[in-house]
Amino acid sequence: MVSGVYFCDASGKPILSRRYRDDIPLSAIDKFSQILLEHEEESSVVPPCLLYQGIHYLFIQHSDIYVVALTTSYQTNIAQIFMFLHQLVSVLGDYLKSVEEESIRDNFVIIYELLDEMMDYGIPQITETKMLKQYITQKSFKLIKAAKKKRNAARPPVALTNSVSWRQEGIKYKKNEAYLDIIESINMLMNQQGQVLRSEIIGEVKVKSRLSGMPDLKLGINDKGIFSKYLENEEDFSKPVQIINDDSTTNGKKSNIELEDLKFHQCVRLSKFENEKIITFIPPDGEFELMNYRLTTPIKPLIWCDINIQVHSKSRIEIHCRAKAQIKKKSIANNVEILIPVPDDADTPTFKYSHGSIKWLPEKNAILWKLRSFAGGKEYSMTAQLGLPSVDGIEPPKVKRPVQIKFQIPYFTTSGIQVRYLKINEPKLQYKSFPWVRYITQSGDDYTIR
Amino acid sequence: MSDQRIFTRYRADEIKAEFQNVEVKKFKSNAMKRKNALRKIIANLTMGNLNEMSYLFPEIINYWKIEDDIEVRRICHEYIRKLGPSKPKNANDALPYILKDLDNRNPALQIMAIKTLLMVPSPDYVDEAFRFVSGIINRRSSSSDVLKTSIFALTQLDDINHDRALPLLDSLRDIISGDHQINSVKVAALNTLYTIHEKNLSLPNLNLTVDASYDLLTILPKLNEWDKALLLESLICVCVPQTHNDAYDLIDMVEPQLQHVNTYVALNALKFIIYITNYVDHISDNLSKKLSSSIIALLNKPPELQFLVLRNVILLLLSRESLILNLDVSYFFVEYNDPIYIKDTKLECLYLLANKDNLHNILEELEQYATDIDIQMSRKAIRAIGNLAVKLDENSADECVNTLLNLLEFGVDYVVEEIISVFRNILRKYQDQYKSQISTLVSYTDSIHESDSKNAMIWIITNYADILPEYLEYFRVFSSHILEETLEVQFSILNSSVKFFARNISKETEALCIEILKCCTEEIDNPDLRDRAFMYWRLLSLLQSPKSEINVEVIKDIVDGELPLIELNTKLDPAILEELELNIGSIASIYLKPVSQIFKQIKTKQLPSSSVLNQNRDSINIVSNENLIHEQKRSQTDRFSDINHYSEGRSIPSKPSRRNTIMDDYDKPAETVNQLKGKMRSSNSSSSLLSRKPTKLMRKLTIKKPF
Repeated sequence: MVSGVYFCDASGKPILSRRYRDDIPLSAIDKFSQILLEHEEESSVVPPCLLYQGIHYLFIQHSDIYVVALTTSYQTNIAQIFMFLHQLVSVLGDYLKSVEEESIRDNFVIIYELLDEMMDYGIPQITETKMLKQYITQKSFKLIKAAKKKRNAARPPVALTNSVSWRQEGIKYKKNEAYLDIIESINMLMNQQGQVLRSEIIGEVKVKSRLSGMPDLKLGINDKGIFSKYLENEEDFSKPVQIINDDSTTNGKKSNIELEDLKFHQCVRLSKFENEKIITFIPPDGEFELMNYRLTTPIKPLIWCDINIQVHSKSRIEIHCRAKAQIKKKSIANNVEILIPVPDDADTPTFKYSHGSIKWLPEKNAILWKLRSFAGGKEYSMTAQLGLPSVDGIEPPKVKRPVQIKFQIPYFTTSGIQVRYLKINEPKLQYKSFPWVRYITQSGDDYTIR
Repeated sequence: MSDQRIFTRYRADEIKAEFQNVEVKKFKSNAMKRKNALRKIIANLTMGNLNEMSYLFPEIINYWKIEDDIEVRRICHEYIRKLGPSKPKNANDALPYILKDLDNRNPALQIMAIKTLLMVPSPDYVDEAFRFVSGIINRRSSSSDVLKTSIFALTQLDDINHDRALPLLDSLRDIISGDHQINSVKVAALNTLYTIHEKNLSLPNLNLTVDASYDLLTILPKLNEWDKALLLESLICVCVPQTHNDAYDLIDMVEPQLQHVNTYVALNALKFIIYITNYVDHISDNLSKKLSSSIIALLNKPPELQFLVLRNVILLLLSRESLILNLDVSYFFVEYNDPIYIKDTKLECLYLLANKDNLHNILEELEQYATDIDIQMSRKAIRAIGNLAVKLDENSADECVNTLLNLLEFGVDYVVEEIISVFRNILRKYQDQYKSQISTLVSYTDSIHESDSKNAMIWIITNYADILPEYLEYFRVFSSHILEETLEVQFSILNSSVKFFARNISKETEALCIEILKCCTEEIDNPDLRDRAFMYWRLLSLLQSPKSEINVEVIKDIVDGELPLIELNTKLDPAILEELELNIGSIASIYLKPVSQIFKQIKTKQLPSSSVLNQNRDSINIVSNENLIHEQKRSQTDRFSDINHYSEGRSIPSKPSRRNTIMDDYDKPAETVNQLKGKMRSSNSSSSLLSRKPTKLMRKLTIKKPF
């Protein structure tokens, strides 16, 4: 039996709720967005049944909302719940025409009435629109959407003729493969206290195609529902931004990030992307960059170093460094290099460390700590001591150089972009083909601690 | 409406001012405006602005007194429901008005009032609710809607005060057996009775005679979809067939519902029939066909329902060896745009469905998935192929291994890693069969990064050292970086180095062994690893002391003993299966976990005993209709022996923990495969999640400048 039915927005925050039974705490639904987030970290598609602190969260997605039912017992019939939620959405569709966040807010009175009629103490009653119309005769408020501007009307569609300028005909491979590399470079500037001063993600999607004939590729990335919704918002600036409650603005999950660039290779059919949000293309042969993007967003440092430098003037300098991999437990950062600058007149280094290898690079005036692999959640430390000349008179170096870190994390993207499918279709040859994808997050040119 | 901005935060005095405004001007549109102000209150309550809104209580009471409009009443009730629990004083002040609505002639108002009474947990409210509900149920005269609501309300009242609800249960029984006009009320009464009996350990299980069940099932076609399903659900374990013929009749009555469009009904019909099959001695192949096709039909539903059905297919495949279901594997082939949780579950179904005949098809499919774009999917497919090799016999294993070797040629990192991991299991089952492949496997030593596959590789190198001339070279790839490895890999390195030494005492192996032992005892600070290293060290040093009776053979025996053959066990404990089968469609079926394992205080569902209960669920024959008569004759003689064994068969002890130890990966309950559990970390870890939310980028992709 259902304890309550909730409508939540795209991030899982409740918009509207109807509790049927008094056996769950009022705050239970507030946990939903958090649980969603935790699961989305693992995989972009969350199973429709989540358990958290003894409460089951069963939900379906519809346009930009989640419809959630909460229950406490394992014996609850889940077919009943899912079926009810689907019926509920279809009934609302009949009443409101379009079921989305905005229309639910506008029609909450009618939805409360419907919820009261459709369910009693968590047991579904009537879900036929025709029957319900006898009880609930109120009119709904329909969303008036600004008609989509046809921006692309002027652009002629990319003709699917034989003349694809970037690919010649008659290419043949014995084994047909396409490799997709998603590489994200992180540029980040931090200060000693661990504050992130600046951060950005630069992503590229590289394709290496070894495919015969004229293959048509279709690339699916993450979630489409959310995709389209934001397009509409973008075009409708006149609508004032709704403030759900005070918390959401401080939290600012949606608003703070700006994507500055999204560029596609010439082979991508832009009109198709614009209208249907599908990336389709006939690839050139061999390697090329399919698209790149930039994302300015606050990120937690992936590899963090706590460095403590003590200068005993005239005798020696002591460096303590604690490195921590703040990534998922399962992930491993490879080829981690931490470059710590030292005064250019230092000499006779001695090191103490548990992992990796440390070298003094006099030509760079720095010490380099290399870690072949660095598992998530691990913490390593090192100590270095270098002698300083006892001669007086040299003032401390004017420019304090930052610590630089390099790393590579395979199978992981910081932004969370994920390839859902890559369909390869060659209309004439109909061969079997193998798509491969690799994800890697690496340090960009500028990943430094000041 | 949207220009009114109902859904924004207001302060109490703003709304108050609006009310006054409305009162002063006597316009026609007043009613509408007043309603709007009231709606704002509810909107604010929804947003959690409870404190502010509680100042408006006098206004609410005021409108309750003067307004007859049903929507205004609804808002007033909603206000009390939301605020009552936190403001008991206000709630008590409002009680007289609720009681007035309770006595109203309009059933809609009565229903509203009774619901409000139940939502506020104050003694006075509960008291009134009891008074009203028992009045309605005993009299049975009022409108059927009110009666139905009252019956359902009883479930909740029972939670609050069981002793007071108890006397009403007899009235419910009367409603069920009596000739009440409205069928829906009967179902409500049955369901309430059933739920209360289920919940209270002190009550015996609900029991209905077969005749009473017949009566209820005859109204089945007249009910609406939700009532149909409720009725079927409430009859499971309640109606117990006493003869085989009872059982067949019951099945016949329910069978048409398998085709219902509502998944809830169809699945409950399936559940009911599966339950009844415990009381028959054969099943016609017609029924088996119908059950199978209804399951296939259920797969064409929205993903959430499809997921549920698939999980239950797993359950049925696990529990019914004698194929009640005859499902074609092709229905479980993965679609490229299935959500990942469906892909997982389909994979599991494929694994369970695999047998000699369809292996070829399934392997072809799995090979496709192994080259899937989704890394998780690819890994899981490879794992499934490996598990199939272990599950099936030698000939099939050959085919699986060939597939794996094909995949190995791709040389993609994660594919190789996963293949090495599963190969260890295959090699443990078929120790000698695939010796010729070992050299191919170890040539991938350098492309392995994951600790599990590292472990597997070390194990392979160690176990087949005798046919690998440069085994130490391969081993050094791992041992030279022992400090950077994870703990499990460190353990394997330590064990293997000692094994090498024990098998073949030479300068080289001795040096290696001592190097590793030193490293483990001096440089690594994990106490377990250190202790084990010390243990080995002492053991080995006993070799040198002349007095001890330890020699190389003994040490070999200790560190390098025979490993037991591994087997994948797909069987669950029969008692657990029985319980799960009775819970088809419930949340427990998603997790494939019996309820009793989680909640000790809840009644475990068990098949009620009857003279015709089958003790062994696999013993049911499926016969085509022509053979039926012949079959029946034979079974009559069998039945007597059945009864003799009866008592032994029922007393299978349930040991829920056994399950986890036997089963390996693919047979594990849902949570491991679907990652439903164990991923829920404490709330404080969410600070970093901000940037990783996958959908974020997609949002960004759309907020862009035109190209």
